[in-house]
Amino acid sequence: MRDVVDAVVRANGLRKEYGKGEGTVRAVDGVDLEVVAGETVAVMGPSGCGKSTLLHLLGGLDRPSDGEVWLAGRRIDRLGEKALARMRRTAVGFVFQAFHLMDELTAVENVELSALLAGSSPRVARRRAIDLLDRVGLGDRAEFLPSALSGGQRQRVAIARALSNKPAVVLADEPTGNLDSAATLEVLRLFESLHEAGQTLLIVTHDSRIAATADRLISMRDGAFVDETRLTGGTSGQLGALAGLEG
Amino acid sequence: MGRALLVFRLASRDLRRRPVEAALLLVVILAATATLTIGLVLRQAAADPYQDTREATAGPDVVASINPPLSGGQPADRGELRAMADASGVIAHSGPYPVVGAKLAVNGHTVDVEAEGRDTATVQVDQPKIVDGSWVRDGGVVVEAALADALGVSAGDQVSLAGHSFRVVGVAVTAASVPFPEASLYIPPDVPRGSRKLPPPPEDLGLVWLTEPDVRSVAGQTDSLSYVMNLKLADPSAASSFVAAYAPADPPPGAQPSEPPVGTIATWQQIRDNASLLVRNEQRALVTGGWLLGLLAVASIAVLVGGRMADQTRRVGLLKAVGGTPGLVAAVLLAEYVVVAVVAAGVGLVVGWLAAPLLTDPSAGLIGSTGTPPLSLATVGIVTAVAVGVAVLATFVPAVRAARTSTVLALADAARLPRRTAWLIAISARLPAPLLLALRVAGRRPRRMILSIASVAVAVSGIVAALAANAELGASNFATSPELDTMRTQRLGHVLVLICVMLIVLAAVNAIVSTWASVLDARYASALARALGLTPQQVSSGLAMAQVLPALVGAILGLPAGLALIAAADPDSTTYPPLWQLLAVVPVTVVAVAALTTIPARIGARRSVAEILQSEHA
Amino acid sequence: MRQEVVLALLAKEPSHGYDLRARLREALGPLGDEMNPGQVYVTLTRLERAGLVESERTTGLTDRPDRKRYALTAEGQQRVAGWLAEVSWPKPDLAEFHLKLVAAAAAGLADPLTIVDTQRRELLRRLREAQRAAMAEPDGSDAALLLEGIVLRLQADLRWLEECERNWNSRGSES
Repeated sequence: MRDVVDAVVRANGLRKEYGKGEGTVRAVDGVDLEVVAGETVAVMGPSGCGKSTLLHLLGGLDRPSDGEVWLAGRRIDRLGEKALARMRRTAVGFVFQAFHLMDELTAVENVELSALLAGSSPRVARRRAIDLLDRVGLGDRAEFLPSALSGGQRQRVAIARALSNKPAVVLADEPTGNLDSAATLEVLRLFESLHEAGQTLLIVTHDSRIAATADRLISMRDGAFVDETRLTGGTSGQLGALAGLEG
Repeated sequence: MGRALLVFRLASRDLRRRPVEAALLLVVILAATATLTIGLVLRQAAADPYQDTREATAGPDVVASINPPLSGGQPADRGELRAMADASGVIAHSGPYPVVGAKLAVNGHTVDVEAEGRDTATVQVDQPKIVDGSWVRDGGVVVEAALADALGVSAGDQVSLAGHSFRVVGVAVTAASVPFPEASLYIPPDVPRGSRKLPPPPEDLGLVWLTEPDVRSVAGQTDSLSYVMNLKLADPSAASSFVAAYAPADPPPGAQPSEPPVGTIATWQQIRDNASLLVRNEQRALVTGGWLLGLLAVASIAVLVGGRMADQTRRVGLLKAVGGTPGLVAAVLLAEYVVVAVVAAGVGLVVGWLAAPLLTDPSAGLIGSTGTPPLSLATVGIVTAVAVGVAVLATFVPAVRAARTSTVLALADAARLPRRTAWLIAISARLPAPLLLALRVAGRRPRRMILSIASVAVAVSGIVAALAANAELGASNFATSPELDTMRTQRLGHVLVLICVMLIVLAAVNAIVSTWASVLDARYASALARALGLTPQQVSSGLAMAQVLPALVGAILGLPAGLALIAAADPDSTTYPPLWQLLAVVPVTVVAVAALTTIPARIGARRSVAEILQSEHA
Repeated sequence: MRQEVVLALLAKEPSHGYDLRARLREALGPLGDEMNPGQVYVTLTRLERAGLVESERTTGLTDRPDRKRYALTAEGQQRVAGWLAEVSWPKPDLAEFHLKLVAAAAAGLADPLTIVDTQRRELLRRLREAQRAAMAEPDGSDAALLLEGIVLRLQADLRWLEECERNWNSRGSES
């Protein structure tokens, strides 16, 4: 019996519909979810299954048609835009598939933007940004423009930005969608280190590699959850067989 | 030939795809061309009617008058005038005719007039042309046409002249005097004997004709009569040199003559210039206004075009990929805007030509002024050239740039990358969130920011110049009869108001368009800002500030620019607008721009964040 | 593991059995630990019998196999060259699983979707394991490369399983 207080993200009967009458599309259809602190949860599904919409609902970027959303102990589905914005400053960090960095700002300026918009003083924001860039391994590229960074590096900058305000949960929407496998590995490593540091992560993806890093994997189809798997467990000692080595 | 057709087809199809923008473009250029047309037509209108009047009335080349000496007791010396008539170069003359100053009263108005005594015979020089009724006879008065128009009298009305009752027998025009309210000869009314100075000339002075006996009876004493004579020269263009021999040194303008002039003498060119003075000020205001509007139009179009050029990039890429040369591509882009400009020029010419008489009937006192002269080739040429020039100027740089971009980049729709202004970014980091957003949004497109500043500066400078002109009007306004609005001030006032309104409207359109373009462009940045935690209110005020701040800079720059404009347009004018008006312009402009930009900014701040982030990229 | 691997390892220089084992362990990383320690020696004996390698006793005292030093024969070298030039690729083994689904569906023995889901879960666990192992190895090492290969194949298999699920799902809803 999970302690409700521990749940960083909670959703009850979440529904999101577009259109009316005959043409109604149910992007999210009755989703219940709980993510406890420190967990990494992956939501997997084919494109169009509604996972991105679900993420937007959980992060307060969109309002549900029905149901409740609780974030860091606060109910957010009925909040006004202003309160939602304030909540986004403190409780949530977003990572997007397209990175969404400002092209004309350097890496450090991109990272500190979050803190500046939340009202930190420039010096504090700058210092934190540099620390975070160090943490993601890009300390020496702080003054680079995004155009001078590889895809994996850009996403790492975006992750650093998401961590800027010490969010309760990091919501990642297809974080490796635009990355090749080498860059994916970079991001994977980063997620693992975040997980080890106790950061709560909710990742939406159709990449099984990313999904495999999670503690829990939820499959989604047509707006609803269809399956849940616990992936934690020891090694099976059977890798050799996968490689073609007879034991 | 095929290529030209292709260019035309592509251009027209694109215009049809975006009717709103094409319409906006049209309106903007139209404002400039219509104003310019009115100004140019007026310039024409001023010149012709006087010429027509001169020919129709056998107008004189020189008009001279002589007053009785101020010391009194003696009549005016007609001999001097007669001597002038015998001078070399004079081929004909009429007069000397007696003239007396008097007050004309009718319909509750009282006006100072000069009453000239004529006989019924037709003369060779200065035979006023009757436009209503008939020529002088005893007991009757013929009123100059502009005066009749202002007073609302026509043939058959009763008027009181110097206390005597007269019947208006006719209305006539003449080229020997400037139409009401500015007759060129100043015949002082009864001056008390022994006074050393003349009373100042009345602001509004009219002209009427009586028979010679009637003039003498109105004058009372013969030695208070003045005399006027009209001369025709062998060489009309030499009138000024003829006059130079006789005219005393002119007193400095505006100063009271220390000694009353013995008489006055004027050339036909001076009369013509004064006759068209009314029109000239308006014409000057309109032409200046037209140029200012043209500048504003350039700024507006540049913003419109610049905003859409990003869209065009893809089309350009397609054109080039299927084999279009950069020249063709640039031609298609320019063709669209040039077509709109030509249409705007055409419509502007028609609108301006129709509107000119409404604005300023130059004078009822000149022949041929009831209709407007047809558009001269020069006017059509100038206006079209300005319109096309404005369009080309505004679209040249983007068109060339679009034509030069690599095809691959264009096809991949690599949108124009925002510029990085490091110092702006550094400063904005210290400011509260909305200002941070505002500075960064503005700094992404420095060219648009400069255009915004420029357009507000142009509008403000125009308004400042208009305020100065208004101040000048107010300072010189001491009409003798306040109910009788002097045509000069009234009409010029209307023109100034019209110009100001158009400047403001155009600048407002510019502000809204610029905000809209800016909001669209910043849609991505504002969505991201909201995802990072900015409230919609903060975002909308930031987007509005991104327009207001350049407007503030522009308004401040516009003040000295406007003063410079005044100095350039009218070098001898020393009237400046009152300080409070100048100081008020800046905050009023800022508030106005803020009001205009709030709505697009708010709309832009409310769009769905998720949607924008899904579809947009940088 | 094919005999030719051991042959090829000997091509560098004549070696003892335990040398070969050490080199194998290094190249395979953690997978090497799963190997049967005696496997190498068995293979060497077979190869000697086939005349592809020859052995010589090192200045040795005993007759135990692990003191022998093995070297390639001329035939062995030829075989290695031939093997290096081969382009055959390990056989995929999809047919078995595919037929499993078909048979289960036809006989009504079990729901194909359940079979697929179970298999998916298992593969995901293995993917997680392989990925973790890959990340634990230094970048660019031989072991990391091998593990990356495992990860990618698992990914491909998982993708196929997703297709299977979609396919059998729609078949189910049709009937």
